[in-house]
Formats: sequence, C-alpha cells, structure tokens
Amino acid sequence: MITVSHLTKRYGAHLAVDDVSFGVARGDILGFLGPNGAGKSTTLRILAGFLGPTSGKVAIAGHDVVMSSFEARRSIGYMPESVPLYPEMRVVEYLRFRAELKRVPRARRRAYVDDAMRKAGVVDVAHKRIGHLSKGYRQRVGLADAIVARPPIVILDEPTAGLDPNQIRETRQLVRDLGRDHTVVLSTHILSEVEACATRVLVIHQGKLVAEGPTERIRAAGGPSAVELRVRGEPAVAKTVLEGVEGVGEVTLLNGSGDLARLKAGLAKELGADDRTRAIERCVAALVAAGLGVREVHADGGSLEDVFASLTRDAAGGGGRS
Amino acid sequence: MRAFWPIYKRELFGFFVTPLAWVLIVVFLVVQGMHFFLLVDHFALELDVASDESPLSAFFGNTVLFYLVLFLLVPPMTMRLFAEERRSGTIESLMTAPVSSPAVVLAKYAAVMTTYVAMWLPTVLYLVILGRTGGVDRRQAASAYLGVLLVGAGYLALGLCASALTRSQFLAMIWTALVLLVLFTLGVGEFVTREGTLMHDVCAHVSVWGHMNDFASGIVDSRRLVFYGTMIAVPLYVATRAVDAWRWG
Repeated sequence: MITVSHLTKRYGAHLAVDDVSFGVARGDILGFLGPNGAGKSTTLRILAGFLGPTSGKVAIAGHDVVMSSFEARRSIGYMPESVPLYPEMRVVEYLRFRAELKRVPRARRRAYVDDAMRKAGVVDVAHKRIGHLSKGYRQRVGLADAIVARPPIVILDEPTAGLDPNQIRETRQLVRDLGRDHTVVLSTHILSEVEACATRVLVIHQGKLVAEGPTERIRAAGGPSAVELRVRGEPAVAKTVLEGVEGVGEVTLLNGSGDLARLKAGLAKELGADDRTRAIERCVAALVAAGLGVREVHADGGSLEDVFASLTRDAAGGGGRS
Repeated sequence: MRAFWPIYKRELFGFFVTPLAWVLIVVFLVVQGMHFFLLVDHFALELDVASDESPLSAFFGNTVLFYLVLFLLVPPMTMRLFAEERRSGTIESLMTAPVSSPAVVLAKYAAVMTTYVAMWLPTVLYLVILGRTGGVDRRQAASAYLGVLLVGAGYLALGLCASALTRSQFLAMIWTALVLLVLFTLGVGEFVTREGTLMHDVCAHVSVWGHMNDFASGIVDSRRLVFYGTMIAVPLYVATRAVDAWRWG
C-alpha cells in the first residue's frame, strides 16, 4: 500500500530524514518508533502529502505523492500530531465539512459521518463545540476525521500523546479495530505502545531507519537486560547462588561489606523480554531459598535507548533488517 | 475545484461565528451612516449646488471617510485567512485533504468578498432615502458601487496575500495596513506633484481617490478596470504560489 524508497528531507542544513526506505502491506498496523525529534512526524507529513520530499520517492496506493499528489491524498486519512481542529465548529459540523472536503458523495455523507462518530466514540458530543471538548475527545474527533471518508490508509501521528491511561487504552483498542478495515501507520515514542497495537515496527533514530521488523522482534529487544540486587548475607554465597539461576549470565559483585552485598546479574540476551523478566523472579526465589535476605531489586534496561542500542547492534551483526 | 464550496462555506461560518465580524460590520455601518448624514445635511443647507455634485458622488468619492474606514476594516478581515490556520495547525489537515491550492485561495477570497458585499448591502438603503426626496441616477449609482466593489476586491486580495506570506495574524494585519497606506499616499501625491511629470502620472494612475471620484461620477474607465484586475490577480497568484511553497519549506 505504501512504498518509500530513499526518502530524504532536509531543512536547510538540518537533515530530518536520511535515506529511509520501507514498505507497508495491506492490513499492516505499522508502528513508527523513535524518540522525539527522530524524524517521525516529518516522515508521516511527507506520506500525508503535507510536505514534499527533498529526494526519494513515496507512493501511496500506487500514486506518487509528488506527481499525483491529489490521488495519493484521496487514499489517506491523516491525523496530525497536535490534532488541529476548528474550535468554533460543532463536532458533527466539522466532520460533515471534512467529509465534503474529502469528496464523500452527498448521499452517503450522513452515513459516513455517523459511522465515523460511532467508531471513534464521539456520538455523545456530536453537537458540542470542539473548543469546549476535553483533550481526549478532541483526539477522538481527530480519529473520526481520519476515517470519515473510509480511506484505505490511515496515518496517525502520536495518537495517544497527552491522554490519560484510560484514554490511552481506549485509543489503542480503537487503533487495533481500525487495523481490520484499514492499513494503519502510527508513530509513537513509547515502546509499549507499538507492542500493544502494531503488527510491524520501524525504528527511526536521528532521521535514519535503524531497525524494521515484526513486533515480536522489537519486543524481544525490549525488557530488562540485567538485574541489580541488594542482598543481606555472605556476598560470595549470593554470587554463587545467582550464577546457578537459569537465564542468568555474568554476575558481578558491585560492592560487599560485612553481610551486605550489591550484585548485578546480567540476563541472557538470547531470551525474550518475558523470559528475562521471569529470570528476575527466579533470582529472588533462589536467594530466598538459600536463606539470604533480598532487600532491593532493580531491573536495568528496557528503555527505548536500550532497544535502540540492542537493535543497532543486531543490525550491525547482519541479521538486522528483515 | 470541488473543494471550493466546502471551504467557502466554512470560511463564512468561521467569520460570522466570531464577534470580530459583527463588531467590524457595526463600526462600518455607524461610520458610513454618520458620513451619509453629514453629507445630506451639508447638501440640504447648500443654496447653490453645482450640477455635477450630488450626495451620491460625494459619499463615494469626495470625502476621505470612505477609504479611512477601509484601512481599518480590510486588515482585520483578511489577517486570519491563512495566518490563523498556520498558527493553529489546521492548515495541515486542510492541505492533506484532496484540495488544490487555487481552490483553497479562491474559496477564502470568495468568502471574504462575500462578507465585504454583505457589509455594503445595507448602504443601498441610502439610495432609497435619496430617491424619496429627489432623483437618483441609477447608472451613476451602479458605477459607484462597481468602484466600491473593485477597490474592496483589490484591497482584500492584497490582505489575503499578506496573510499567506506570514505566520502571524498581527504581522499580516500590519503589512496589509502598510501596503494600503502606501498606495493611498502615492495617490495623494497626485495633488502635490507638478502636472506633466512622470511622478504625477504614476500617482494619478494609482490614486484610489481619483478612481473613486470617477466611478462616483458615473465614469467607468477601462484603465481603472485593468488596474484593479491586476491588483486582484497578482496577489491571488502570489498567495497560491505561497501555499504551494509551504510543502517545500
């Protein structure tokens, strides 16, 4: 549905997107993962036809975004990052306006708008002014706008930014539902978000694509990489106990004085995130069984930076981009 | 061009839903009403009136009040057209819909022109009032309104262009006011430069005052039509190119 080849975007001397290539197949939910300022929004804006690429080609449903921008834009529903809306309009007025703008035929407009409002859950605020809505509802109006013309491709820039945990859960559910009828591209800087919604993940860092693959691979790259423990008991005994735990690699004694010890146990890299988290449980159980007192447990790693480090290392190792 | 209609409707709605529109219209009508009253009062007391002078030609041409109110009106009417959408980001949803740049520019321009016409519409009552007490030359009145329409169309096109060229509404307003003022001042130059010099000719050609005097006396000069046609077309074209250029920023 989307083909991006050697896409580059330059703002003066600043290289926002650097030679990025990828494809999105029909029915995919593609998660665009990267820290703030990585080039996610710029890439999505180019896909949506709001910005032109400096070089490279982007085809949306077979239409080049530069040469046949019009057809490309007809195939997408786009929700920009800040969800800009006209505050003076009522929700239903706004969606009717957007449906007309996106060329939904008059006869079908009402049905399309009603359908989008139902899917996005804004029926109860249909006659409220957008300016009076809460952030969560504004976000949903943005989603309703993105799907109102029933485009084959939906592009959502940071759909859960600024929402509370409940709203985040609802939005993720909505995105998964959208995935049944649309090809979805969404961006986020939160790792758990792509795990929750996406079927495929692109990791972008400083304008460069650092990894690409199905969500499971990214999930495996996440999770803790080591565990730090504060233990009451003989340091040497604690070290031996931890070394015997399944899933634990190298154990180092950070400091030990008298009967208190701080130890760091590396977790086996070949395990998935879930297995590594379980290894932490086994460490604690083993220490307790050996009669040692566990005072503190800290899981190390699992942040986005660790994932980048892990993924870029994988890419350098050869098995990276699949 | 199918995007023209929805954008046009939304612009009109967006303008009239704000208090700004109503404040502008009220200020405009109060000023024009006072202006009309003073003129009629003046002509009523005058014993010896020149044959080519009438309240109508004076209303549209001979006093400075007509332009001064446009200087105050046009910048706030046009400042928000693009600058507001760029500041709030709604331009992003607008331009990622299947719309063409000319459709966006023309729809916004048509909406602001409609507002302008709506503002002038109540002044047709003045003709009715004049018609009750004396004769109104209909062709002269039509010519005067054509002048009003053309001057307004030119000014609004300049204002729209300024709004497309800057991200700040305030700057758009200042730029528009400045350009209108420079144009007007150039026109005044007609009266202070020596006749026969190039400067005098240039000033006379761009003088809104002179143009309106002609229109208000019932003279429709093709040079004026070309002048205003250019003053409409060039800013609109520049605005269209500016909208296109945002993509490559």
